[in-house]
Amino acid sequence: MTAGTDNTVDVEAPEPGDPTPPEDGRLNGGDPGSNPEAARPAKIVIGLVGFVIAGWFMWNACLSFAYYPQWYGNSKILIGLLALVVGVGGAYLLFYFLNMFVEGLPGPISRWLMPYAFLAPGYAFIGLMLLYPAIQTINYSFANADATEYVGLDNYRTVLTSSQFHEAIFNNILWLIVVPVTTVCFGVVVAVLADKLSTNGEKVSKSVIFLPMAISFVGASTIWLLVYQYDPPNEDPTGLLNAVWRAFGGEPQTWLQNSTLRLNSFLMMVILIWLQVGFAMILLSSAIKGVPEDTIEAARIDGATELQIFFRVVIPQIKGTIITVFITVVILVLKVFDIVYVLTDGRDKTQVIANEFFAKLFRDSQSGQASAIVVILLIAVTPVLIYQVRHFRNEELGR
Amino acid sequence: MAVATRRRLGALGLAVGLGLAMSGCLQDPDEGGGGGSGGTAGFADNSSSDGDGKVTILGAYGGDEKANFEKALAPFEKESGIDIEYTEDSDFTTTIKTRVAAGDAPDIGFFPQPGGLLELAATGDIQPIDTFLDIGNLQKTLVPGLLESTILPGDPTGDDAVAGAGRMYGAPMRLANKSLVWYPKKAWDAAGYKAPTTLEELTALEAQIRESGITPWCMAWNADQATGWVGTDWIEQMVLSLYGPDVYNEWTSHAIPFNDPQIVGAFDEFAKIAKTDGQVYGGVQTVVNTQVAESMVPALRNPPECMLERQGSFEISFLPAKIQADLDNEVGVFPFPAKEASAEAPPILGGADLAALFNGNDPDAIEVMQFLTSDKFGAEWAQAGGWLSPHKTFDPANYPNQTTKDIAAAASGASQVVFDGSDVMPKEVGSGTFWTGMVEWIQGKSSEDTTADIEASWPQ
Repeated sequence: MTAGTDNTVDVEAPEPGDPTPPEDGRLNGGDPGSNPEAARPAKIVIGLVGFVIAGWFMWNACLSFAYYPQWYGNSKILIGLLALVVGVGGAYLLFYFLNMFVEGLPGPISRWLMPYAFLAPGYAFIGLMLLYPAIQTINYSFANADATEYVGLDNYRTVLTSSQFHEAIFNNILWLIVVPVTTVCFGVVVAVLADKLSTNGEKVSKSVIFLPMAISFVGASTIWLLVYQYDPPNEDPTGLLNAVWRAFGGEPQTWLQNSTLRLNSFLMMVILIWLQVGFAMILLSSAIKGVPEDTIEAARIDGATELQIFFRVVIPQIKGTIITVFITVVILVLKVFDIVYVLTDGRDKTQVIANEFFAKLFRDSQSGQASAIVVILLIAVTPVLIYQVRHFRNEELGR
Repeated sequence: MAVATRRRLGALGLAVGLGLAMSGCLQDPDEGGGGGSGGTAGFADNSSSDGDGKVTILGAYGGDEKANFEKALAPFEKESGIDIEYTEDSDFTTTIKTRVAAGDAPDIGFFPQPGGLLELAATGDIQPIDTFLDIGNLQKTLVPGLLESTILPGDPTGDDAVAGAGRMYGAPMRLANKSLVWYPKKAWDAAGYKAPTTLEELTALEAQIRESGITPWCMAWNADQATGWVGTDWIEQMVLSLYGPDVYNEWTSHAIPFNDPQIVGAFDEFAKIAKTDGQVYGGVQTVVNTQVAESMVPALRNPPECMLERQGSFEISFLPAKIQADLDNEVGVFPFPAKEASAEAPPILGGADLAALFNGNDPDAIEVMQFLTSDKFGAEWAQAGGWLSPHKTFDPANYPNQTTKDIAAAASGASQVVFDGSDVMPKEVGSGTFWTGMVEWIQGKSSEDTTADIEASWPQ
């Protein structure tokens, strides 16, 4: 707001009181002979006034949705639709008036300002929702439980020496070792095998593998909670895994509490793999289809076996996609939360970093320590992100 | 979207700059201490106008409870001409703090625990009840222990004076009873069991049930992220039954450490039930893996596979619809016994919703408070079910069925009511390490180690 008015002060000054009609007249009179580079005060004023009014209207409309639902017959559907109209229409109006305002400025300033004017809302949004919280989190990680006083590195000391956190780190590393590799392997295998099926067979099998992607993490976790469900031996099994286990003569097991060899953690990794193989498959499948037929043909003529062709010809050509998928899953695994939260909430040695953070913040009300944990997580993710950006850039260059 | 588009020109620089500038500072530690003169001679006042025949209330009840509450208010509103505007907020505890800090307190708030109430009383935002309620009279009709829980601790005089300390700040308008044992009535009557009145008799009853080939206790702890709370209720019950309300209150307020030998003793006493073979249906694995609401399912089979379930009055809502429809014939309930028998009913673990006044200048709000905290309030709500009056003098004929009458009788006859300890303890213990500690304990950790670890997690 302030920045906008600053820019216009000198232009607005000659038009005190801005009586709109005469200016309108001048605008409409629009003498084309005059200098197109000159400022057009009417546009500036209308743009500015329109911008403020549109913003004011949007703001109050949104507030009224919240405070006076009775004006809209308490209908959530009506409010939702109106919010859609006000939001999209309002955004259109805001940009329309913003554009008018900038066009009204003298030519060189206008041309220089135009891209920024349109980018600004996006940047502001990122700044507000991403940059500011990130900086604030780092700041709070050096403060006490309710962020009223700085405590230096105490939070980091507490977090890094707590056995819970060590366990979380250990488990996250375990997840990192297992999940991305398995996901990519399954993805490649499924993609290759599906490629060899008939058109319809490929469509059906791919759809089935891809289906879990449509389920939210929490939903999938709840489904798998039922799979791992335990019932005492004298009752009928409701858990799928125990039903199978008992059909083969086993005693019912409490799968999610069994931390021998981290069995429970592995059982939860199955869920993430199940969810992500579809994603890996889709990308890898299109990459495999993009492998030029003549290279495979050439290898075949040279007498290579199918396996050799796969490992020596196909894999090197889809390496870029494999890395992309791998990194995406790595980042996902570093942030893994929902599955653990729903299935065990970190009990029985299954804690992961993100869940530990959640518990510290919302269960223990330790905002300082919780911030320290996410900062550590941020530091852990950063090298992967940098590698990913570099990798993408190289890919772009390669094209 | 509105936010995004309202930002404009130069907002990027502004946002980054603001981000840096704002993040340089910390929260104001005195936030929430808005206004008020500490309840000395002055009145807690909010921003709403006084004497306009309109009173706003903020509480946590929604849905049916809200409808029943409003039903219970209707005759009063008609008679007094006061318009009561009730707002529900399931996150009451947080909302009330935010609204008070923002100078937008309601006229009256219903606190589910004394903790949040005392926090706002300490900042002078709540009117002490002695200025508008007849405390002597209330003490005569109320179940003991409730009013006392709203006394602001601290020294009212001297160097570290806490303004307004020693006075009461809230009055109960709803009671909860968690010290109950449920049983399947048909099987119970057929076997001719008698409700025990001492812990010893309870142990004898367990033996008697075991002899008939049935596991005595039903138990289920799984509540997803809240798994363990049933265990904390059990320990609280044990502490209360074994040592009485005084030790209990010392324990929950941390006057004695969490791993005091008496508390370890309560854990060991509970181990005789929870960690002993043949005492609990399905054993430890079933306890941890069964949803709380399903605990009585084996008890309702024919023949029952377990007989007893210790759970609060809300157990009714867990029961299958078929059982609820014929409640009095299907299930029975008796108060969890104390160590020694006495003339009075044993002290109960429970809780109450405490009404607090934020607008001490408003005669209408005061009139509403006087009504809400009297034994005249609640007949309509009691008839609808799910509500217990904190007054001994409340007419039990208002309760809809025998089961509820029994629960109410156990509560109103109790020598004292104590608040659920895990609600009174700091959050990181009460809904943190105490919960997780109970799960580890039942899976094999010793009572000493468990209590020592919880003690270590108590915030300094």
